[in-house]
Amino acid sequence: MDVGTLAFSALYQFGDAFAFLVLSACGLAVIFGMMGVINLAHGEFIMCGAYVTVSAAHAGVPLPLAILIGALVSAAVGALVEILIIRHLYDRPLDTIVATWGLSLIFTQGTLIVLGSTMAGVGTPFGSFTVGDYSYSLYRLVLCGMAVLVIAGLYALFNWTRFGVMARATIQVPHMAAALGIDTRLVYSLTFALGAGLAGLAGGLYAPTMTLVPTMGTTFIMEAFVTVVVGGADVFLGTAPAAAVLAVVKATMTSWYGQLAGQIGLLIAVIVVIRVLPRGISGFLLRERA
Amino acid sequence: MNALSRFFSRLEGPQTLGRGPGFWIGFLVVLAGACAYPLFSDGYTVGNTVYFFTWIFMALGLCLIWGYGGALSFGQTAFFGIAGYSYGILTINFGAAYGFTFVALLIAIGIAALFAALLGYFLFFGRISGVFLGIVTLSVTLVLERFMAQTAGPEWKIGAARLNGFNGMSNMPPLTVPWPGGDIVLFPDVQLYYVVLGLLVLVYLGLRILVNSPFGNVLVAIRENPERAEMLGYDIRKYQLGTFVIGAALAGLSGVLYTSWGQYITPSSMGMTAAALPIVWVAVGGRSDLTTTLVGTLTVLAVFQALTIHGSQYALVVMGIMLVLTVLLAPRGLIYALARLIARPFTKRQPGDA
Amino acid sequence: MPMLQTIGLNKRFGGLHVTNNVDLTLEAGEVHCLIGPNGAGKSTLFRLILGEHLPSSGAILFGGEDITGLKPFQRIRRGMSVKFQVPGIFKALSVRQNLEIAMQHHYPPAALGEEIDRLLAFLNLTADSTRLAGNLSHGQKQWLEIGMAVSLKPRLLLLDEPTAGMSPEETFATGEMVKRLNAEGMTVLAVEHDMAFVRQVAHKVTVLHLGRVFAQGSIDEIVANEDVAAIYLGQTTAHETAHEAAHA
Repeated sequence: MDVGTLAFSALYQFGDAFAFLVLSACGLAVIFGMMGVINLAHGEFIMCGAYVTVSAAHAGVPLPLAILIGALVSAAVGALVEILIIRHLYDRPLDTIVATWGLSLIFTQGTLIVLGSTMAGVGTPFGSFTVGDYSYSLYRLVLCGMAVLVIAGLYALFNWTRFGVMARATIQVPHMAAALGIDTRLVYSLTFALGAGLAGLAGGLYAPTMTLVPTMGTTFIMEAFVTVVVGGADVFLGTAPAAAVLAVVKATMTSWYGQLAGQIGLLIAVIVVIRVLPRGISGFLLRERA
Repeated sequence: MNALSRFFSRLEGPQTLGRGPGFWIGFLVVLAGACAYPLFSDGYTVGNTVYFFTWIFMALGLCLIWGYGGALSFGQTAFFGIAGYSYGILTINFGAAYGFTFVALLIAIGIAALFAALLGYFLFFGRISGVFLGIVTLSVTLVLERFMAQTAGPEWKIGAARLNGFNGMSNMPPLTVPWPGGDIVLFPDVQLYYVVLGLLVLVYLGLRILVNSPFGNVLVAIRENPERAEMLGYDIRKYQLGTFVIGAALAGLSGVLYTSWGQYITPSSMGMTAAALPIVWVAVGGRSDLTTTLVGTLTVLAVFQALTIHGSQYALVVMGIMLVLTVLLAPRGLIYALARLIARPFTKRQPGDA
Repeated sequence: MPMLQTIGLNKRFGGLHVTNNVDLTLEAGEVHCLIGPNGAGKSTLFRLILGEHLPSSGAILFGGEDITGLKPFQRIRRGMSVKFQVPGIFKALSVRQNLEIAMQHHYPPAALGEEIDRLLAFLNLTADSTRLAGNLSHGQKQWLEIGMAVSLKPRLLLLDEPTAGMSPEETFATGEMVKRLNAEGMTVLAVEHDMAFVRQVAHKVTVLHLGRVFAQGSIDEIVANEDVAAIYLGQTTAHETAHEAAHA
């Protein structure tokens, strides 16, 4: 194998890992970064997006549209959860974790009862292409592009839209934002829905590549946690660089020793990082402004 | 008499509900009932009750870490699993003769505690707290589960013990008491019941002494205001680490007892669902008190088993609903709220107390 | 040997030079007040002395020992103690338990109860000992925290705005407490806005301005110093403006 194909292979592995980490984590990171809430039902929002996407695809909806529907349904469920539960717990962030864990149990087991232990999936679209001796899935490249698109979209949303400005004002000085006439409750609801919708998007995007089971959320959640812990509270300065660093670790470990080694590598990276940078990468980058 | 009252005074304090002769008489009545219980029941049911008891140690450990120390540890089942697997590996390799099962119990708990010390060092000396502590400990648990789940191949064995991946390990010897004229094997029956009940009383009273000691004072101080605690000269990292290790050891004890009880341990005992259950027991019972945690755990387990008749997935949905409702409606725990309600007419209300 | 000495202490946050080459000396037995307009760097200097921030450069000596790199709890164990600006008490615990936590390692168990009673009396909190600390009045919370700080029997007591939010009567009572503690041999460093309090207790006053030591001397010298008056918004006397600032 020549250097070119070797480099492509490494880049592909990295891109694949990067996309998975970014897409898994961005919904969790938006909610944590903006609201200080860790949503332990994050994996179940991903599962929801995947199930809705596949159901829509089975009903004849074209896949891209089906993924969009999956994301929107997740966002709607997220808004509902925010109104019914999360809203009442803002002054108790630790309790929110516990409550969302309860939700996770309810969603996982509820899905198992209603829809059974597995659901027929849809095939991975686009087929594959070969570089050198190896063949690669084209869809994985699409996922990689989507990850970059999501980061760019979030950046645009939070910096260039009215919602973004209101959200950042609310997060930084809640009582001041309220005094300026911003409906902070609405901002929180929308932010939570956005996070849930991003989770649903991740589920929809990965639905064609995996088996649909009620516990599929746990496949994503560890990676999502790890990225958010390493990244810290800022989506752009945290999640994206953290995903890039961790993708290197994961891709390297995975290609050497397999999937599980990749995960163990991630975990060790996290434990080392928190010992050195307790507030994550964004905390480190922002330390002088504190 | 004086020594006895001094002993009782160490069991009581601001950190625990229940004090005075009334409470302790009640305690003795309940204990006597628990001792007499096997006389009115059959071996199978008693063995089933032991199964409930094995979980309580883990719940009490979580109560100590979370309720008293204020540290969100979602890794209790990791220590449970580590100790359970260690016990299995040790006893399958070295057998049950000469009381080795109890040595294995201690070693297994030691391994879990050591693992907790290592992990806790990075967490607490890295000043990780709040939500991050919760998600890192949970991540560790999930990775451990996945690791054990992929050990199905024949290359995954330690000595004579095959790890067996998702199917888990089985057929390790139960705890065995060496006895002249024939070892007593503690199958899930009356004898195991008394051993575990004894351990439970010991651990419960021991923890009461611990939380009402100066150590316990510092622990709640850290929960309430870590900065102030440090400014009183306490190295809070050491206290948190110590608590974490004690809690992990108790989870390890649960793991060993569970493994010995069913001669069986699987990776799913560490998974996301398994990890949620101790949180449910402790939160629903009332995490800020040992007694409410104990009563809550038994109650929730009983409810869970009653519901399992209709299918365990239904029971888990109910557990989830219970957890959400507890957090929303009775954040200090259902049993705790109940206990305060019962205790109110008997205690003088203090001015300004909430 | 001075009780506390900072030598060429600097702290930068990014481009901001919050503590600029501060040399401060506290002699044993003195009550020393640190004043200055908002943003003068008083709180940062306080946190540097406590070890909550590490200095960018410079050294801190405590009783002649270099403590620059020590963690806060290690400094406390060497005989420092602090009362924060925002009351740092254990709100969900009783007043008595608050003091117990502070004192349990400094007295034998048999003597602990009596010592707590003595301190409660000193703090005028005897009648409130079983109340939850969170339910005390604002002034009482401040006293409880002073009590917790004092109970460690520190050589050096650090007070960050001990009278913030207190009525004039409470402020006066707090001043008398500080004077009694000082008479028993405790060295005190207080950040304070309330000039009546400063006049009541201070042996020596240091004025911080823009991170530097601006002036130093007795309270009368400071009040008479026109440059000091000028930095307090250019008004007539430091006394009035500082007083207004405290009650704003």
